[in-house]
Amino acid sequence: MEFEELAGRALDTSIARGATYADVRFERGRTERIEVRNGIVATLADSESAGYGIRALVDGAWGFAASDDVSNAGIDAAAARAVTIARASAAVARRPFGAPPERAYVDRFITAIARDPAVVPLGERVALLLEAEKLARSTPKVAVARAWIDLWRTDKFFFSTIGSRIEQRIMQSGSGVQAMAVGNGDVQTRTYPGDVGLYQSGGWEIVESARLRENAARIGEEATALLTAPQCPSGTFDVILGSSQVSLQIHESCGHPAELDRVLGWEANFSGTSFLELDQLDRLVYGSPIVTIAIDNTMPFGMATCGYDDEGTQSGTSDIVRDGILRGYEMSNDTARSIGRESNGCVRAQSWEYVPMIRMCNLTLLPGTTPFEHLFDDVRDGIYMESNRSWSIDDRRLNFQFGCEIGWEIKNGKRGRLVKNPTYAGMTPAFWNACDAIADERSWFAWGTPNCGKGEPMQTGRTTQAAAPARFRGVTVGVGYDD
Amino acid sequence: MTSAEREAIAQRALEHSTADQTEVIVQVADAALMRFARGISNQNVASITHAISVRAIVDGRTGVASTNDLSDSSIAAVVERAIALAALAPRDPHQPQLPAGGTTHAPDGAYVAKTALADPFARAQICDAIVQEGERADDWCAGYVTTSAMGITIANSSGALASFDGTDAQANVKMIAADSSGFAEAYATDLTRIDGGRIGKQAVHKAAASARPQAVEPGAWTVILEPAACGELLAYLLSHFSAQAYDEGSSFFAGRLDERFFAETITLRDDYAHPLAPGMPFDYEAQPKSRVTLVDRGVVRAFVTDSYYARKLDVANTGHALPAPNASGPQALNLVVDPGTQSAEALIAGTERGLLVSRFWYIRTVDQKQAIVTGMTRDGTFLIEDGRITGGVRNLRFNQSIVTALARATPANDAHRTGGHGYSLVVPTVKIEGFRFTSTTEF
Repeated sequence: MEFEELAGRALDTSIARGATYADVRFERGRTERIEVRNGIVATLADSESAGYGIRALVDGAWGFAASDDVSNAGIDAAAARAVTIARASAAVARRPFGAPPERAYVDRFITAIARDPAVVPLGERVALLLEAEKLARSTPKVAVARAWIDLWRTDKFFFSTIGSRIEQRIMQSGSGVQAMAVGNGDVQTRTYPGDVGLYQSGGWEIVESARLRENAARIGEEATALLTAPQCPSGTFDVILGSSQVSLQIHESCGHPAELDRVLGWEANFSGTSFLELDQLDRLVYGSPIVTIAIDNTMPFGMATCGYDDEGTQSGTSDIVRDGILRGYEMSNDTARSIGRESNGCVRAQSWEYVPMIRMCNLTLLPGTTPFEHLFDDVRDGIYMESNRSWSIDDRRLNFQFGCEIGWEIKNGKRGRLVKNPTYAGMTPAFWNACDAIADERSWFAWGTPNCGKGEPMQTGRTTQAAAPARFRGVTVGVGYDD
Repeated sequence: MTSAEREAIAQRALEHSTADQTEVIVQVADAALMRFARGISNQNVASITHAISVRAIVDGRTGVASTNDLSDSSIAAVVERAIALAALAPRDPHQPQLPAGGTTHAPDGAYVAKTALADPFARAQICDAIVQEGERADDWCAGYVTTSAMGITIANSSGALASFDGTDAQANVKMIAADSSGFAEAYATDLTRIDGGRIGKQAVHKAAASARPQAVEPGAWTVILEPAACGELLAYLLSHFSAQAYDEGSSFFAGRLDERFFAETITLRDDYAHPLAPGMPFDYEAQPKSRVTLVDRGVVRAFVTDSYYARKLDVANTGHALPAPNASGPQALNLVVDPGTQSAEALIAGTERGLLVSRFWYIRTVDQKQAIVTGMTRDGTFLIEDGRITGGVRNLRFNQSIVTALARATPANDAHRTGGHGYSLVVPTVKIEGFRFTSTTEF
C-alpha cells in the first residue's frame, strides 16, 4: 500500500518516544469547484492538498500533529510533536480518558461511481452551468442567478500500531442552481435542489441526476412570485415539511444532539451540549412512535459513506431513535467505551490536517406509509414549506426556529396560495412527538449537507440526512416578522 | 518559512506563467489549539500547512489552481493548470487589470515571536489555570487556548509584491454550574497577555451570578449587550457593506448611500490597524487596505471594494478583496465600532428594567434585506431592575433587525476585541432599546 514505509516510520517514532498507541492517516485530496454567476464564471478552481496527521496516546491522553512535509525528517518531527502534545495533555488532565481502537482491519474501500468526473471535459461542465444559470434568470426581477458544481476526491491511507492498514477512495459530488429576485423593497431567493443543491457520494451521475437545466427557469419564476406573495401568516398551524427541510430538521435536532462528545460536554464552549443526556438513554420519548432515526454509514449515496471511519472503525448501522425512543448516539472509541458501548464508526476529520472527531454521518428517518399527496388530506388549516433559508437552535438543541424559502397555504386538504418568508418554531421533543405522518419511500431522498461546522479548530463535515416529507400538528408558524 | 522564501517561490511561479496576467499567493501557517472539557484535553492539536494559489487571466478569462506542494515541478504544474482552466472560461467584460500594489506596513504588534514559538506546555498552563478556577468554584468547564503564526506573500504580474507575518492567541471558556453557566474570552497577538486565571474567574463569576435563573416573558426589552454579544450580532451586518451586496441589491442600504439608518451615536469603521486587532495591511490582491468609515454618526457612507467592483462601479479600490476565486465579493473583515461616552456600568445604572446579555448563540439571517436575524442568548443572561443586576434569567430567542437595533443603540466607552472565523471586531458594550425576544427555552 502507498505510504507504507513512511507510515511505519511515523508509528515507530511515536512508540519510541513514549506513545502507547499511535495512528497515522495520509490523505491526498482534490477539490474542484465551478460557480457561474450572472453569466460570468466567478469560480473555476482546482485545488490539491496532501499531507498526514498523526495521533499519539500517552498516559491516557491524546496528541495530534499534522504536516505536509513527507520527508523522513518531516515525519520524525511530526511524530515527536504529536507525542509532546499528548504529554502536555496528560500533564494537566485530571484523569486518563483516551482509548485506542480494539480491532484492526486490513481492507480497501472505493466509492461506487457510474461516471468518473475526471473524464467529463471541463467545457461540458461549464456549459451545463452557464445554461442552467441563464435559465434561472427567467424573469427581469432575477438580479442574481448562480449555478455551481463541487467535486471531491479523497484518497486515504490509515495505519495504526495495532495493525490496521486501510486504503479508501471516497468521491462526492454536488451541484445546484439559485435565483435571487429583487424588487418591491424585498429580496427573495430560491434554490434547487433542496436548499444547498444536491450533494451525494458518487461521480458525475450525481450532477446529472440533479437536472439543473430542467428546473432552473421554475426557481427564477418562484423567486419572482415571492416578491409579491403575501406574508406567511402567524399562529398555530399544521405544517407539512418537504423532504429537504425534514433533512435539516433531523440534522439540527437529532444528528447534533446525538453526538456523544457533545453529550459529554466536550463541545460545551462552542457547539453546545445536548438534551439527550445519558440518563435519558432508552427512556426519553424523543418523538412519536412513527419516528425512527438510524445511523447508516453504508448507505448508497450517503456523503459520509465509507468503509472505515478516521480512527479505523468499520462502518455499519445503528439506531439513535427507534419507534420514538432514544436508543443510541454517534460515537468514537473512547466516548463509546466511557458508556460501556462500542464505537459505531462516526469519527471523521475534514482533511489530513485536522484531528478526527465525532461527526454526524449518514442519518435516515425511516419512511412512513402515506403517499406524499395524501399528507395534505386531513389538514384543514396548514402551511407546506420547502427549502431551508435560516436555521437556529439553542445550545442544548431544544428551542429551534427554522425558516424556508417558500411556502403554500393548505386549506381543507388542498395546497393553496403561495406565501413568502415562512418560518416555524418549537421545542425539539414536542415537535417530533407532534409528527403524525411521514410520507412513504417513494418520496424518501438522501439529502447531503456539504458544510456542517463543528469543533475547534472548526472543521467542515459532509453529512447526509435521508428523509421523506412529514406532517407535524399544532406548530408555531410565522415568527420573526412581528415587528 | 521567511517572507524572502515565500517571495522567491512567488517569483518562480510568475516567471513560469505565460498568462496575460498572473497573481500568486503563497501562505504558510503553524497553528496549535488545546481544548479541554471536564478535566481532560479532548483535542490537543497542531498543524503546519503550506499553500500556493495561482490566478491566471488570459483574454479576460480567469482560472485558479492551488496546491500545497511547493516543489519546483509542482509550482510549474499549478501555473499551467490555472492557465488551462482560464482557457475554458467565458470572457468577463468587467475583468480589471490586477492592482499594482503599493507600500504597506504591518501594524505594530501584529507579529509576536513568543506566540509563534509557544510550545504545548505553555498552552496547557493557561488551560490549567482556567480549570483550577472552575474547580475552586465546584464548576466544570470547557474551553480552549490557541496560538498561531501565519505568513502570506502576494505577487502579481502588475508588479505588486506584499508580505505579512502575523500571530494570534485566543482563549475562551464556558464555566458550568448546577443550573447556570458563564463565559469569558481573551484575544491577543501576544500569548503572554492571555491570563488564564483571570478568564477563569470571569467565567466563574458569571456562572455564579446567573444561578437559579428565573423565567422572564419574551417581548421588547432594553438590553445591554456585552462585547461578545455585540460582536456576534454585528458580524451578520458585515456582508451588507460589500460592494457586491450593494450592487446586487441585497444590502439593506442598496441605492441609499449617505442616508441615516442608525443612531447618531453609531460610527462603524473597517480598520485593519486597530491596536487591539492588528491585521494584514493589504488585501488578497496585494492592494493596500484603506481604513474605511462605513457609517459616520448614523449615516451610511461607504461600502468596501476590490479591483473588480472598483472597475465595475467606477469607484476607488478600498483593498478588501478576498482570495480568488471569490464569488462573495469584497468584504469588511476588521470592523471597529467607535466607543461612546458613558461607561458600561453607567448604561446599566441608567436602565430601569432590562436584560444584560453576555453572549449569543447560533445567529442566523431570517431576512436578508431587512437584516433580521434570530438567535439565542447563552452563558450569562441577567435581569436589570432599577439600575442594578438582580439575578440570572433563562435564555431567550430573539428576532431582531440589526438595522433597527442600531437605530436605538448607545455604545459604552469601552473597547474589546472579539470575533469569529476569519474576521475581527473591536466593539464596546452597547445598550439597545426595544430589542425583540420571541420565546424562551428551558435553561
